Amino acid sequence: MNRSSTIGAQAIFMSPAVLLAATIMLPPLFFILYTSVHGTSLSLHEYREIASSSLFRRTLGTTLVIAVASSVLSVFLAFIVAVHLARQTARRRTILLVLVLLPLWTSILVKCFAFTIILGRDGILNGILSWLFNTKIQLPLVLNRIGLFVGLTNSLVPIAVFPILASVLAIDDSVYRAASIMGAKPARILRTITIPLSLPGILAGLFTTFVYSLGAYIVPSLLGGPRDQMLSNLVDFYNRQVLDWPRAAAISVVLLAMISVFGTPLAFWRQRKGIGGARV
Amino acid sequence: MSKIRDSHSQRYRVFGTALAVIIYIGLLAPLVVTVPMAFGPANTLAFPPQDYSLDLFKIFFFTSGWRGPLFESIKIALAAMAIAMLTGVPAGYWIARHNFVGKRLVTGVIMSPFVVPTVVAALGLYLCFSYAGLSGTMISLVLGHVTVALPFVVLMIIAGVVKLDPNLEFGAELMGAGPIRMFVTVVLPQLIPSLVSSALFAFLISFDEVVISSFLAGPNTITLPVKMFGALQWEVSPVIAAVSSFLMAVSLLVCIVAIALRRGAPLEGER
Repeated sequence: MNRSSTIGAQAIFMSPAVLLAATIMLPPLFFILYTSVHGTSLSLHEYREIASSSLFRRTLGTTLVIAVASSVLSVFLAFIVAVHLARQTARRRTILLVLVLLPLWTSILVKCFAFTIILGRDGILNGILSWLFNTKIQLPLVLNRIGLFVGLTNSLVPIAVFPILASVLAIDDSVYRAASIMGAKPARILRTITIPLSLPGILAGLFTTFVYSLGAYIVPSLLGGPRDQMLSNLVDFYNRQVLDWPRAAAISVVLLAMISVFGTPLAFWRQRKGIGGARV
Repeated sequence: MSKIRDSHSQRYRVFGTALAVIIYIGLLAPLVVTVPMAFGPANTLAFPPQDYSLDLFKIFFFTSGWRGPLFESIKIALAAMAIAMLTGVPAGYWIARHNFVGKRLVTGVIMSPFVVPTVVAALGLYLCFSYAGLSGTMISLVLGHVTVALPFVVLMIIAGVVKLDPNLEFGAELMGAGPIRMFVTVVLPQLIPSLVSSALFAFLISFDEVVISSFLAGPNTITLPVKMFGALQWEVSPVIAAVSSFLMAVSLLVCIVAIALRRGAPLEGER
């Protein structure tokens, strides 16, 4: 195939996607930036306002605390699942994978609904506790930080399982055999082989879940209380209640900036290590 | 993997499996809980339900308040799936097989929804579509959903193409097939498993999408998730159990087909 026909074919194959990218993927980001600085007046007014707003600062604090805690916990839980899956035969793994894929692909609304049923004042968990202790127990487990944390972690675990599983599966079997022949106990194998060698997957899982939890919107609005709202809910609040789009846009820019701050070092690290090049 | 069978490592393994089982239960419990409730009575929300009926499904499928959004969602998801497939499949193939100027930039923009928080994208799309005078239209919802479905399609097609033997493609071109003919007669038939699963996932992503939809939906374009989100925020009605079970059944179907086709299953998912 000569060069000009390659370019012609390239135009045919790539232009529809490029057109979409240029019309509906880039402009929204541009519009947010543009709106946040009041258009061509390039004013930093909104950024000064949010920097001195106690509502914003409190929400930022909540967001960071919840994002860090839920992503670390979910990666820990996902690691246990990934190691378990990696030990299974390919056939059993396929079946067990459904147990992770189904929650991953089930609407977040379904999970939030279920958690209001499970964790509610007269919910299943309080019912079981009441029955066990033979008194009426109504622990407040939902519409507060506990509900938010449980719901968010639950939705993050399946996301973290897959990158970690890929890393754990990539570890050469002979390394394990060598270690056990040399007399290493399972705890030591875990500490000196499995964890260090699956670090790329663990970090990818950590980044993905952290990005996802920073932008969490549905879970805090359905399972969190009024004091547990996150930055996304603040964006929605200014957009829908206050109709203050520059403010909503400025908070969005802050969210994007936070993700770049945490994402760039990881991207460089992965590139240097030459892993996951084809991945996101 | 390790061949040692002493009691210490045995106990260790049992402990790991026990932890994993607890986590599996924690992941699945919220899904399982909704199913018996969906067959409960229409007036109370209790677990387990006192008696069983199909009343909630009747309300879901036969009252316009729920049926309208269901059909709206199906229409939008079919359209978003079609656009994402028509644009994403050729692009995924080209990205997997060729190097070209601006490849990183184009791929980066297409994949950006993986790292941009959905609320930020939703606000941006809302501002864009208001500016273009498309607020609340079905087109705006379809295009909004395409932004999240397209990266998945492209990623899954890349993963599928990488596993194909490029020599078949060279062969076809040596024999004189043009790039499009070669793509249609050589690449696409081999890609069928990836095509089916990426189409199903594109449909599911759009069908379940709630954040972008709730920013873009107008009074005449309320999708099922938007309706459900509103219902969950204001009053939790028993019908939601039936809607939840329905959504879960759709997801289960898609997952089973994707696993059966294996090659196309997205092992790295992100919502």
